[in-house]
Amino acid sequence: MHKYVLRRVLLLIPVMVGVSFVVFTIMFFTPGDPAKILLGERAPEAEVQALRTQMGLDDPFFVQYARFVTNALRGDLGRSLTTRRPASQELFARFPATMQLAAAGVLVAVLIGIPIGIVSATRQYSLFDGASMVIALVGVSMPNFWQGIMMVLLFSIYLRWFPSSGYGTFAHLIMPALTIGTSSAATITRMTRSSMLEVVRQDYIRTARAKGLSEHLVITRHALKNALIPIITVVGLQFGYLLGGAVLTETIFSWPGVGRLMVDAIRQRDYPVVQGGVLLLALTFSVVNLLVDVLYAYIDPRIKAQYK
Amino acid sequence: MKTEADNVVTADVDERQQGLPESDAGRDTAMQVLTDTRRGRSQWAEVWRRLRRNWMAMFGLAIIIVIFFTAIFAEVIAPYDYRTQNLRRIADPPSREHLLGTDDLGRDILSRIIYGARVSLQVGFVAVSISLILGGTLGALAGYYGGRLDNVVMRFMDVLLAIPSILLAIAIVSAFGGGLVNVMVAVGIATIPVYARIVKASVISIKEQEYIEAARAIGATDLRIILKHILPNSMAPIIVQGTLGVAIAILSAAGLSFIGLGIEPPTPEWGAMLSSGRHLIRRAPHVATFPGVAIMITIFALNLLGDGLRDALDPRLKQ
Amino acid sequence: MRNVSRTAVVVALIALAAVIFLAGCAREEAVEEVGKAQNTGTLVVGMPGDPRSLDPQRTNDQPSARVMKQIYDTLMYQTEDLDVTTNGLVESYEIVSEREFAFTLKQGVKFHNGEELTANDVRFTFERMREVNAPAAFLVAALDRVEVVNDYEFIMHLQFPFGPFITHLAHPATAILNERAVLAGGDEYDRNPVGTGPFSFVEWRSGDSLTLQRFDDHFRGPAASERIVFRIITEDTQRTIALETAEVDLIYDVGPNDFEAVAAMPDVVSFQTQGLTTFYMGFNARKEPFDDARVRRAINLALDVESATDVAFRGFATAARGPLAPTVQFANTNLPGYGYDPEEARRLLGEAGYGDGFSTSIWTNDNPIRIMYAEIFQEQLRAVNIDANIEIVEWAPYLDRTARGEHDMFMLGWVAVTGDADYGLYSLFHSSEFGDAGNRTFWANSEVDQLLDEGKTNPESAAREAAYMRAQEIIFQEAPWVFLAFRDDLAATRDYVEGFRPHAAGHHVLYNVYNR
Repeated sequence: MHKYVLRRVLLLIPVMVGVSFVVFTIMFFTPGDPAKILLGERAPEAEVQALRTQMGLDDPFFVQYARFVTNALRGDLGRSLTTRRPASQELFARFPATMQLAAAGVLVAVLIGIPIGIVSATRQYSLFDGASMVIALVGVSMPNFWQGIMMVLLFSIYLRWFPSSGYGTFAHLIMPALTIGTSSAATITRMTRSSMLEVVRQDYIRTARAKGLSEHLVITRHALKNALIPIITVVGLQFGYLLGGAVLTETIFSWPGVGRLMVDAIRQRDYPVVQGGVLLLALTFSVVNLLVDVLYAYIDPRIKAQYK
Repeated sequence: MKTEADNVVTADVDERQQGLPESDAGRDTAMQVLTDTRRGRSQWAEVWRRLRRNWMAMFGLAIIIVIFFTAIFAEVIAPYDYRTQNLRRIADPPSREHLLGTDDLGRDILSRIIYGARVSLQVGFVAVSISLILGGTLGALAGYYGGRLDNVVMRFMDVLLAIPSILLAIAIVSAFGGGLVNVMVAVGIATIPVYARIVKASVISIKEQEYIEAARAIGATDLRIILKHILPNSMAPIIVQGTLGVAIAILSAAGLSFIGLGIEPPTPEWGAMLSSGRHLIRRAPHVATFPGVAIMITIFALNLLGDGLRDALDPRLKQ
Repeated sequence: MRNVSRTAVVVALIALAAVIFLAGCAREEAVEEVGKAQNTGTLVVGMPGDPRSLDPQRTNDQPSARVMKQIYDTLMYQTEDLDVTTNGLVESYEIVSEREFAFTLKQGVKFHNGEELTANDVRFTFERMREVNAPAAFLVAALDRVEVVNDYEFIMHLQFPFGPFITHLAHPATAILNERAVLAGGDEYDRNPVGTGPFSFVEWRSGDSLTLQRFDDHFRGPAASERIVFRIITEDTQRTIALETAEVDLIYDVGPNDFEAVAAMPDVVSFQTQGLTTFYMGFNARKEPFDDARVRRAINLALDVESATDVAFRGFATAARGPLAPTVQFANTNLPGYGYDPEEARRLLGEAGYGDGFSTSIWTNDNPIRIMYAEIFQEQLRAVNIDANIEIVEWAPYLDRTARGEHDMFMLGWVAVTGDADYGLYSLFHSSEFGDAGNRTFWANSEVDQLLDEGKTNPESAAREAAYMRAQEIIFQEAPWVFLAFRDDLAATRDYVEGFRPHAAGHHVLYNVYNR
C-alpha cells in the first residue's frame, strides 16, 4: 500500500514539470512585453530595454524556463505585473474561495446525485426514474454560465431569495454552488444509477435476495456498498473539473477566487499570475485525484492486493 | 461550460473503468468487448437496428438532423439577414414580426440563432476532428508500438489532463488570438487526451488478435495495419465519444465567447449572443434566454444520441 | 434510458419548457423590498473593478484612485466641478515666476500614523515618484526639484514653464506620502497605506472588498461615516441588483442598460453627470487610405454617430463633435460636428479615388460598448462600399499593437482626468507622442504641434484658450478620429444616503457621505 502511494506521489513530479512547461511555452509565445506592461505605457524605450535585461527576458527560451522552474520550486512565481506583488501571494489570497466553491459544488452534486441515482435504480423505469434521468440529461446540457444568469434572474431579481453576488456568508454561497454543481450532480446521478443497476445484477445480490433478505436490506447493506466504489472516483474527478468551471462561475457571481483572478490576469497579460494560477489549479487537481485514488485503493481489495 | 461537458466524458469513460483506476491497458474493458467482434456491414446494420428501437436516441437524432438542415439552409429559413440592424427596435420582446424578439442592436434573434447553428456545428465538428486526428494518431502510435514511445505520449497526455481543459483553451486563445479558427483549434487541443486514451485502449486490445498477426505475417506494413485493420475496429468508442465531444466543443466555444475570447462579431455565435444579452437581463431577459435554450437543446440532443449510440454499440449493456 | 416511460419524459420536457418560458418572458413585477436595515455607521459602496494597489506611485488606475482618494490628500484640491482650490494640504501658494512656485502648507495636518505633515514629506513624495518610476510621474515631468524652506514652506522649481502644473497637483496620483510610513512599510506598503485623508485603511480582501475607517484627527474634521466598505461587484447587472436589494448603499458606474430601471426605483436616487471621457475611433494616418483627409472625413460622414451613441450608451452619453468633453477646460463647443450624410461620404470617397470602396478592419478590445459601436459601424460602412472586419484584441496586446501602428481603425477612450485641455489633447495629437504615449493615429500637423506646445507652456489663461480653440478646429477638420461620444458618469444611491456629489473625474469624494 505504501509503495502504491509513493509511486503515485512520485508520478506527480513529471506531470507538474510537464504542466509548467506547457504553460510557460504558451505564455512565452503570447504577444505583449512584460517589461513594458510593468513600466507602463509611457516608459522610454531605453528603460524598457534595461528592465528586459534585468528580468532576463532576452535570454534563450530554455534559460528562462529553467529559471522559472527553479524559482517556482522555491515558491517564487514572480511578481504580478499589475499589482506588483508576488504572484504567489495574489493566488493564495484567492485560493480558499475557490476551494470553498468547488467543495460546495461537490457537496451539492453528491447530496443531490447519489440519493436520486439510488432511488432511480431501485425503481428502474418508473415515472421518478424517467423524470430524474431526463432532468439529469438537461443538467449536463446546460451551459453553466447561462444557468448562473438565469438563477440570478429568478432568485435575485424576481424572488429576492439570495444575494446576486459577493462572498462571505452561506446565502452568498448558495447560487454559485448550485451553478457550479448542477452538471456534476447530473453526472453523479447517471453514474450512481448505472453503477447500482450493474451491482444489482451481480450474483451475490441474487444470492442475498434468494436468502430472503428484505429488498431494503439488500440495497443498503450489499448493493450500495459496492456501487459506491466507482462513484468515489467520479466524485474526485468532478472536484477537479469544478476547479476549471470556477473560471466562469466566479466571473458571474463576483466570487473572489483564483478563476476570476486568472481571467483578469489573462486580459491584462499578467503572465506570472496566469502561469502560477494554472500550476496551482493543476497541482490541486492532481493532488485531489491522488487522494481519491489512494482512498479507492484502500477500499478496493483488488488494488491493495496488487501492491502488497 | 467546459466542465459539464467534461463531466459527460468522465462519466462515460469511467463507467467502463470500474475497479481499474490505475492500469492504462485495463481501461475501457467494454471497448474490448465491442472491438473484439469483427464488424462487417451487417454489424453496422445491427447497430442501426438497435439504435432505431431506442426512441430517445432517435428523438435526439431527429433534433440534430433538424439543426443540420437549419444550418445548411439558413439563408432560406431565416426571416432576416443576421447582420441587419434596426437601431430603432433595440431589444424588443418577441412579436409577430420578430418571433424571438430583437437583440441589443435590433437584429432578429431567431435569424441569428438559425445562422448560429452553422457556426456552432462547424465549431463542434471541426474541433472534434482536430482532437480526434491528433489524439487518435498519438493514441494509435502509443498503443501499437508501446514501450518508450507509449510512455512519452501518455505522460504528455497526463500533463494535458492535469490542466482543467477550459483553462488550457483560454490560455491558447489568449496566446494566439480569438477568431473562429483559433477557437476551434484551442478547443480541439484541450480534449486530445480523451481520444488518445480511447484509441490506445482499443489498439492494445486488438493488436494481438489473430487476424492482425496474419496481416503482419503476409508482410503488411505497420502503417497499413494501423490504418486498415486497427482504426476501423476502434470506430465504436470513437463514434460515441465523438458525438459527446461535439457537445463539449460547442459548450467550450460558447464559454470562451462568454468571457470575451471567442469569435468576432457580427458572427452569430450562440455563446457570444448570450454574453451580449446578459447586460440586458433586467430589461429584456429574452435576449440572453433564447440563445441559451438553443445551446441547451443542441447539447441535449447530442447527449441523447450519444447515450443511444453507446447502448447500441455495446452489447454488454444490452439486457 | 430507452425503456423509460414515454409519459415521464414528455411530462418532464413540458415542465422544463414551461420553466424556461416563464423565466424568459416574465415581465418585471413589483417585488417587495427585503433589503437590510439602514446601517448608519457603515457606508457600503459597490464598484466594478479591483484596485491594483494603494500606493499612489505604483498605479494610475481608476478603481485604486477611488479608494486612495479617501486615504490620501493632495497639495491642491479639485472640486466636483473641477475647480482647483487650496482646500487641500496647501494653505496658500504664490507664482514667483513661470518656473518657480512657492507653497505654504496647512499646519497641524496629521498622518494616520500620528506624524505631522511637513515640507519634507512633500519633497520625499516627489523624489520617490521619480525614483520608483511611478506610472503617473509624467504628470509632474516639468518639476525639477522641491526646495524645503522650513517645516511648512517649500518651493517647487520647474525645468520648463508648464501651464497646468497647479492643476496636476490635485491629481490623486500626486497624493502626499509619509516618509517614515513608506520606509517602514517597504514592499508591503501598498497594503498598509498611510495618508492624511479622512479615512484610514483597515482591511483588503482581494477580489471581494476593502474596508476603511474614519480618521478622527483629519485636518478638516472627522468624516460623516464611521466606516466605508468598498465591495467589488464586476457585473453591471449584479451591482444594480445589490443596490436595489440594499446590500450596498451606493454604486458607481451603473450599467447604461440598467440606469433607466434604477432611476425609476422608488427608494433610489440616481446621478447622471457629464464626465471627462471621450470615446473615439482613430484612423491609422500612416496607412493608406487613411493618410488622405478626404477619406477620414468621408468615414465621419458615413457613420450615424448619434444613433450609434444612443444605442451603445442607451442615451447616457452625448454624441461628440470634437475631441474634448464640454466639461474640460478650453473645450471648443462651437464645432459643428460632421452629421450623417452618406451621399456626401460617397462623393468624397469618389474624389479620393475610392468610389468602389475598400476593405479594412476595425479593432477593439472586449469592451461591450466599443464592440457595439464597431458592429453598428461595420453595417453603416457597408452602405458606402467599405468592407470592415471587426477584430477583438485583448487589452494589453491591444495597447501594444495599436502603439506599434499595426491597425487600420481602432476604438479607444481617453479620460482628461485633470479636466485640462493639455491632458485631453497633447498626448493624443502631438507628433512627439506617437504610439504608447497616446497618439496612436500617428497623425501629425505642425500647426497643431505648435498650438499644443503654446497651450502647455504658456501660463496665461487667455493665450492658452486661443491656442486650444484653434487646435481643436484643425483637429476637427483634419479628422484623425471619428469623434464618438462623451460618456455620462452614472451613479446611484439609496435614498437614505446623504451628501453624495459625483466628481466629474469619477473618483468620488466620500468625506461628506453618510447613511441617514
